[in-house]
Amino acid sequence: MIAFALDVMLGSVSIPLSSVFSYFFSGSTNNSSWDIIISQFRVPKAVTAMSVGAALGVSGLQMQTLFRNPLAGPFVLGISSGAGLGVAITIFLGMQFGFLLELAGLSRNGLFVAAAGAGSLLVLIVILLASTRVKDTVSLLIVGLMFGTVTSAAVSLLQYFSQAENIQAFLFWSFGNLGGVSGSELMVLSSLTAVGLLGAMGLSKQLNVMLLGDRYAISLGLNLKRSRWLIILNTSILAGAATAFCGPIAFIGLAVPHIARMLFRTTNHLLLTPLVMMLGAFFLIVFDLLSQVPGSEISLPLNAITALFGGPFVIWMIMKKRTLNYS
Amino acid sequence: MKPLIETKALAIGYSRDKILQKSIHFSLEKGQIICLMGQNGVGKTTFIKTLNNLLDPLGGQILIKNQPLEAYDRAVLAREVGLVLTDKPAATNLTVRELIGLGRYPYSNWLGRLSEEDKVAVERAIAQTKINYIADRLLSDLSDGQFQKAMIARALAQETDILILDEPVAHLDLNNKIEILLLLREIANTGKGILISTHDIQVSLQLSDLLWLFNFDSPPTSGMPEDLILNGDLEKALYLEHHAYDLIHHRLSIQPEGKVMKVTGDERMVFWTTQALEKNGFQIGDEGETILCHPSTWTYKGSSYNKLQELVRSINN
Repeated sequence: MIAFALDVMLGSVSIPLSSVFSYFFSGSTNNSSWDIIISQFRVPKAVTAMSVGAALGVSGLQMQTLFRNPLAGPFVLGISSGAGLGVAITIFLGMQFGFLLELAGLSRNGLFVAAAGAGSLLVLIVILLASTRVKDTVSLLIVGLMFGTVTSAAVSLLQYFSQAENIQAFLFWSFGNLGGVSGSELMVLSSLTAVGLLGAMGLSKQLNVMLLGDRYAISLGLNLKRSRWLIILNTSILAGAATAFCGPIAFIGLAVPHIARMLFRTTNHLLLTPLVMMLGAFFLIVFDLLSQVPGSEISLPLNAITALFGGPFVIWMIMKKRTLNYS
Repeated sequence: MKPLIETKALAIGYSRDKILQKSIHFSLEKGQIICLMGQNGVGKTTFIKTLNNLLDPLGGQILIKNQPLEAYDRAVLAREVGLVLTDKPAATNLTVRELIGLGRYPYSNWLGRLSEEDKVAVERAIAQTKINYIADRLLSDLSDGQFQKAMIARALAQETDILILDEPVAHLDLNNKIEILLLLREIANTGKGILISTHDIQVSLQLSDLLWLFNFDSPPTSGMPEDLILNGDLEKALYLEHHAYDLIHHRLSIQPEGKVMKVTGDERMVFWTTQALEKNGFQIGDEGETILCHPSTWTYKGSSYNKLQELVRSINN
């Protein structure tokens, strides 16, 4: 709550806390430009931060349990590389085509969202097909990683043959950005996230039994293939939506599940899932705050901030606890 | 009485070109403990996987409570057959009670919350396996014996009529082995049917009502352990003749060819002295130099010895 209020307060234009509260309670700050800033930018951005943080955290948790691998994160199956490829194609090859779409009323930003969404959807479909074919989970992980490598390589090739300004545009996308989500887009993002988070709660029982290993899980009556399919679908909705609207935001998905497990010492997904949601939302709001550089008019690339502050934080936690149990 | 598990002309293996066992005609009944024996690679684990529908049979039929296995939905089968494997769970950050709670998976609601009934079943499993004292420990902090008991408790909480255990006493010390075996006997006495795959001859002979034997080049056999020893089937299945294992005394019979020694005196001392001498290549007979065994010392050629090690060294010289 406090972080949310602070996030609304601070930005390139600072708005006093009292005004933020009066906006929430009476609907106005008695300053029309502040009203616009709050309703049009700050609140959507804070809400975006919360839903993206929760979504990435939970999908990271699901991937770590599914693959029983502490290094897994929401993008382990290549979802962000798929989105990246989609965006790269629109930027590097599709400018003329994009121009037509812009005429048709789609903004450049909307175009990126569509491209990233299409890219991650494509990866999702391929991975789901692979998951019905591949027998064991580790092989699936490798397939996902390989897929990510191939799409990243395609992006590199595109970059190699393109102009500097296009590379810069792509680079900006890859920094991650919470501020580009408009009101109607936010509706789409938050409803997709809500669906995904509810689905994640429903999958907790299956994730719990997966902690025992595949054979025990099957012997306890789990339909392994179906559960795997559902979990991948669920993760892709969460991570895919977040990446499509905000770019590939690093750190949250990998680290927040670890932080939750270390703080609350539980592996029960029924508890862990809501905890990760809250922690993910909290951390992304804090990182967003930091990236505004409070008290200044600069705003830094979000991904740099998440890694810059998040990395040392996780190292510090591991040093303190001496170990990190992933499941 | 209808059997819990019945196999009819069952063939198992990983692929049609490599059938491990065929014409398996076995049946497991309530209250029975059956040990499945055979050498490594003969298909014991494959059989267990096939019984639990983790592998498809390559021929014949498996009936669980008179119904074909393939007619069972996974979730329904999970209420009939509990499994204890050699795999360790991927998660080590679970407490024993949480682990046992996962045994209630086939019964709990869609969120996996345990009802009062589920909790009662978990506590019952804990009490039956006498692991109260470790119920709140993490799996990573358990010894091998404690861990195995926890896994058995998990299978008990599943409340199935059939329990299948793959090598439940492998790499356990004698104490733990005996405890687990007595526990399994108790469980069988409550009316469950238990199938154990094991390499432990002592366990199989003393504990089981029936042995199922897998051979490499002849059809599987089944029978009371004592019958199978007397007709030589067990020795054939385990290839013991080759290694001169003495099934009556449960020890290797070594045929030494060295000097003949005569050992007399205290019975316990004679037994171990004989073993030590045989191991060192001496023959034991009624003639030859005499070793006199007292309750804790030996007399040989007029000198007295406190340790077998010293005695054997002196005879060698």
